[in-house]
Amino acid sequence: MLHSLFLAVVEAPAAAAHAAHAVAAEPGIVEKFGLEWKYVVVQAISFGILFVVLYWKGIKPTIAAMDERTHQIDAGLKYAEEMKNRLAATQQQTEAALKEAQQKAQAIVAEAQKTAKEFADKQQKEAIEKASGLIAKAQEAIELEKKKMLAEARTEIARLVVATTERVLAKKLTDADRAAYNETAARELTGV
Amino acid sequence: MAAAAKQAQQLARQLFKLSVVDHVVSTDRVAGVLAYVEKHAPANAVLVLKAYHRLIAVELAKSEARVEHAGAVAPAALAAIAAAMTKKYRRPITTSTRAHPALLAGVRVRVGDDVYESSVSGQLAALALSV
Repeated sequence: MLHSLFLAVVEAPAAAAHAAHAVAAEPGIVEKFGLEWKYVVVQAISFGILFVVLYWKGIKPTIAAMDERTHQIDAGLKYAEEMKNRLAATQQQTEAALKEAQQKAQAIVAEAQKTAKEFADKQQKEAIEKASGLIAKAQEAIELEKKKMLAEARTEIARLVVATTERVLAKKLTDADRAAYNETAARELTGV
Repeated sequence: MAAAAKQAQQLARQLFKLSVVDHVVSTDRVAGVLAYVEKHAPANAVLVLKAYHRLIAVELAKSEARVEHAGAVAPAALAAIAAAMTKKYRRPITTSTRAHPALLAGVRVRVGDDVYESSVSGQLAALALSV
């Protein structure tokens, strides 16, 4: 753009000369409007100087600042994109870690439940065996007590029967019976 | 003390062997032994005499059948018992009787530590034990 402006300023005198030849031939619009070329050239040079100064002090720093800001914005966007990617990766890692931790926790809970069930089963089995042993011992004790009572009852009944029989025999046996029995007993003993 | 008792026991056994003739305690021998002890007064004479008395008593018990009975026992039955015991122990055995009504009926014969019984009370006791 500057280059086109500069060409316009440089080519302006040539165009002006050419227009002067045409005007010299006949009074043209320049004479009609009262233009003087030297003022036009001065103004063009002043405009060029003003343009250069404006470009050097205003436009160029502004463009640089805009480029800088564009660059910063691009960097920021790039950084934001990178952060977004990092966040996504971190989120994936976190999700993976959470999933792994959850799996481990589930495995630990399952193992704990299994261990607890085994312990409970073992305790139950031991309790059943202990109870069975106690029941067996109690039954054995009851059986022994029953046998003992039966034996005692049998002995007592036998003792009573014998005592009763002795009393009856002591009253009923006559001397003749005793003598006959003694005779038989003597014969039995002499056969020893 | 233990050695003295042992010596007294040995002497009593020797005196006891002298007092027995053919498995029978001889009265004459016993009298001779007592006279010997009285005359010579061996050491621990009291212990010797106690041991000698015990041995003689045991031997006399072996030569005597003590018959316990309930009711009358015929002399022939007693003679048969004496003969059977004499034959069994191969020594002369005499009988002595003692009434024992608790037997109800029957006899019980003791020769030394051996007991032979055929009585109603004995059979009832055996019955009670067998139940």
